[in-house]
Amino acid sequence: MTARDAARLTLVVFGFVVIQETVMLDIRIGGVHPDIMVLLPIVAGIIGGPGRGATIGFGAGLVADLFLPTPYGLSALVGCLLGFGVGLATVALDRTAWWLAPVAALGGSALYEVTYGALGSVLGQPQMLHVALARIVVVVSVTNALLAWPAMKAMTWGMAQSSTEGMPTSDAGVGSAR
Amino acid sequence: MPRRSRRPRTTLLILVLAAITIITLDARGGLHVVTSGVRSAAVDAFAPIRSGVNAVVEPIGSFLAGSVHYGAVREQNQKLQAEIDQLKLEQSAAAQQAQSLKQLSALLNLPYLGNLQTVPAEVTDFGTSDFAATIDIDVGRSDGVQLDMPVVGLGGLVGQVVSVSHHTATVRLITDGQSSVGTRYGPDPGSLAILNGTGAGKPLSADLVPSNTPLTNGEVFTTSGLQGALYPPGIPVAGVVATHTGSSASQESVSLRPLADLAHLRYVTVVLWGPSA
Repeated sequence: MTARDAARLTLVVFGFVVIQETVMLDIRIGGVHPDIMVLLPIVAGIIGGPGRGATIGFGAGLVADLFLPTPYGLSALVGCLLGFGVGLATVALDRTAWWLAPVAALGGSALYEVTYGALGSVLGQPQMLHVALARIVVVVSVTNALLAWPAMKAMTWGMAQSSTEGMPTSDAGVGSAR
Repeated sequence: MPRRSRRPRTTLLILVLAAITIITLDARGGLHVVTSGVRSAAVDAFAPIRSGVNAVVEPIGSFLAGSVHYGAVREQNQKLQAEIDQLKLEQSAAAQQAQSLKQLSALLNLPYLGNLQTVPAEVTDFGTSDFAATIDIDVGRSDGVQLDMPVVGLGGLVGQVVSVSHHTATVRLITDGQSSVGTRYGPDPGSLAILNGTGAGKPLSADLVPSNTPLTNGEVFTTSGLQGALYPPGIPVAGVVATHTGSSASQESVSLRPLADLAHLRYVTVVLWGPSA
């Protein structure tokens, strides 16, 4: 990764943080606010594969944790798992399909929130499972599904020069089944 | 056969181990000073960006909302409607200001705080995480606010400062699952009980209340102020809403509702008090 690539990616993450900490925190749907930081590992996983998804999920999670009262590093842990998982799950799919990003955002966000609450509970924050988890899952998943396309555009720009490590390497090319 | 690189798995393993290490060090205190310092610096650095973006975004939102509204009323008498809107706005603003003044005056004269020094604060946000019951307030280190200081509102105890930056602070509400408050109840000198949070919007539960204790609905629990306690004595915390004695339980099951209206906080008071004070 060149310095220019890193700068682009940093700008994208910074842009997401700004939107999350300003616009998104002012939006409350049933007492829950959307969380677009979850979109970063998801779209990074789709575009760059499991390795890049995990790395960007980890980095974005560390940044998101700066503004959260929950244990430091928890978003990074769940983010890297999610980025890897989405990258792995979509590696054999046509990544240009219009439905892929919204569907991955819907499922990935739901999985993220449940894992986040469960892991937080395991790590000494039992109250994290005593919240309106179903409402959080619905609000975050649906809003992220709606915002998946612009997020894909932003991350595509941010990862313009990035490799797609972890993708199948054969003459059959990307899209072939294992 | 297509080959899949093993590198992503190695990357994932390293990142997971790194995250677990950070979480563990943060929780055990080794890294907490560093992470809380970095968090505080990040919040301070972000504050002007946040207010700048809000200053840009809010007028746009207001403009769009105004445009929609304008379209709906154009068929009516535009001028008259504008005047009505203006009057309503003024009336609403005046009522809001009167309400703010009333709340602030009341907060400055909370009887249970005695001579304790306080700092009034405005609630700027109801929690940055959906997984914790917290609020953000517009005072910080520069106003004398420090970690663990109690925060009260109209009615009683609101919570405790859990994070401080230069100009802002985060307060953990007493309803948060991590919150425990030492209290007294009953006739003087009062029996001791611990009130535990069970989540935002949910009642508090009481520990250490012996079974068959005669409690009446509305009975108020106040902070105990025992040596080393997290709160000064005598602050009203919550009122009893339900009691239940199980057939074999040695403790009374007591549900209490916070006396401060935690769902609609606008102004609060930080008590400049620490356990060692």
